[in-house]
Amino acid sequence: MKARLLSWLLPALTGVGLVGLWFLVRRVSGLPAYVLPTPDEIAQAAWEERSVLLSAVLVTARGAILGFLASVGVGFVLALALGFSPRIKASFYPYILVMQMMPITILAPIFCLWLGQGLPSIVAITFMIGFFPVVANTTMGFVSVDRNLKELFLMCKATRAQELRYLRIPGAMPFFLTGVKIAGTLAPIGAIVGDFLAGSAQGGVGGIGYTTIAYFGQLKTPALFATGFTACLLGFVFVGSVNWLHWRLLHQWHDSFIAKD
Amino acid sequence: MHQPPLVKINQVEKSFGTGPRVLAGIDLTVERGEFVSFIGPSGCGKSTLLRLIAGLTPATGGDLVIAGMTPANARELMFFVFQDANLLPWRRVAENVELPLLLRGDATAPRAERVARALDLVGLAAAAQKFPWQLSGGMRMRVSIARALSVAPDILLLDEPFGALDEMTRDKLNEDLLAIRARDPFTAFFVTHSVTEAVFLSTRIVVLSANPGRVAETIDVPFPYPRPAELRETPEFLQLLGRTARALRAVRNN
Repeated sequence: MKARLLSWLLPALTGVGLVGLWFLVRRVSGLPAYVLPTPDEIAQAAWEERSVLLSAVLVTARGAILGFLASVGVGFVLALALGFSPRIKASFYPYILVMQMMPITILAPIFCLWLGQGLPSIVAITFMIGFFPVVANTTMGFVSVDRNLKELFLMCKATRAQELRYLRIPGAMPFFLTGVKIAGTLAPIGAIVGDFLAGSAQGGVGGIGYTTIAYFGQLKTPALFATGFTACLLGFVFVGSVNWLHWRLLHQWHDSFIAKD
Repeated sequence: MHQPPLVKINQVEKSFGTGPRVLAGIDLTVERGEFVSFIGPSGCGKSTLLRLIAGLTPATGGDLVIAGMTPANARELMFFVFQDANLLPWRRVAENVELPLLLRGDATAPRAERVARALDLVGLAAAAQKFPWQLSGGMRMRVSIARALSVAPDILLLDEPFGALDEMTRDKLNEDLLAIRARDPFTAFFVTHSVTEAVFLSTRIVVLSANPGRVAETIDVPFPYPRPAELRETPEFLQLLGRTARALRAVRNN
């Protein structure tokens, strides 16, 4: 009970301390609000800009979700192919690495040229950031199936499809979900970066990246901070959902969960 | 009329890649209903011999005939109990036992019936809905045996199944294995390090020597089934125990 109390009391106290320090720095330094806004100014800006921020976060969330789903789906299928045969893996893996190494800031304008500014480019950028961890982890899962279990399936005269369905896919699940977790953490960042580099305010609403540029241009620093915290919120929702999925699928049998009991 | 032997092993040799021979000149004929144990020093190839019979690895010389077929073709008649329980951690106990039936395409209803019977045979009906991690090592091994029994194999191949268990659990599982076999007869090939286990279970003990593995001695075990736990304390049992231990020592000192 005491440990439980401490688990929220300690971070709460730290938070109070940080906010106090923040006010103190502002007062002592005498910096203006457009350089270092105080938490109350940020909260006020967030309230005033609430409709802009809400639509921005929804636009970004849409890009993040679509990009995330694409990276998970394509990543899984690609990993299936790579795990299917060492030759396929040897042929294609280096090029997947090349795709991963290509800096996103250079890819973004290329996507813009191909797909135009807006959602398709943002989804593409989010996808590019998220799919590699899914591919890399899931492929690892497919190729690291226990030898004894493979022999069990051999003794059962299992077909390749059966082996895939009953052994390889469930066996690769923990690896896949690790990849999904990383992709889920990166997706909101990917969508914001994508929006920053390739976003547009078509239909009057931009995403978080686009809004950031707008506030920066107007020197609305408190709103800029508010945008940052809104993005944080989106990130937490994403990570929380993915963690829940991870727990849902593994908690009954996987060591990472049962070791805690 | 004389039936052909169930398993005929003729001058079998095995080496891995370009390495030295692991097994050489193995001859063994096994009739239906026998319980044959392989015992010998580490590295004598007893597990490899079992895997040859299972068709999990091919022989590099000689031939193995199982019910008139090659080992790989005779897999339907056989099942393998691995050294560790080798269960799928994401499937519940009943689902693990069901797996071989599912893979060979049995319908749902007969599957459930066979699973229930197999779990009953090993005394684990109550644990059907548990996950493997919730069971002790001995219970996991029972599940593994139930899985093997679910397909009612003619030949059961057991690779040191009780090697990782404490002696008390092992003795109990030995007795249970014989009780199960009385109800559900199968021909058994059993790899073990334990002399007591070999004598208690087998109709025949094959002592292998190492480098390369050869059949050094074959010891017949005359005790009739059912074999009560107390058999282990009889002078006849102890005498055979001594004889087997001596054979093993002779092989080791060579």
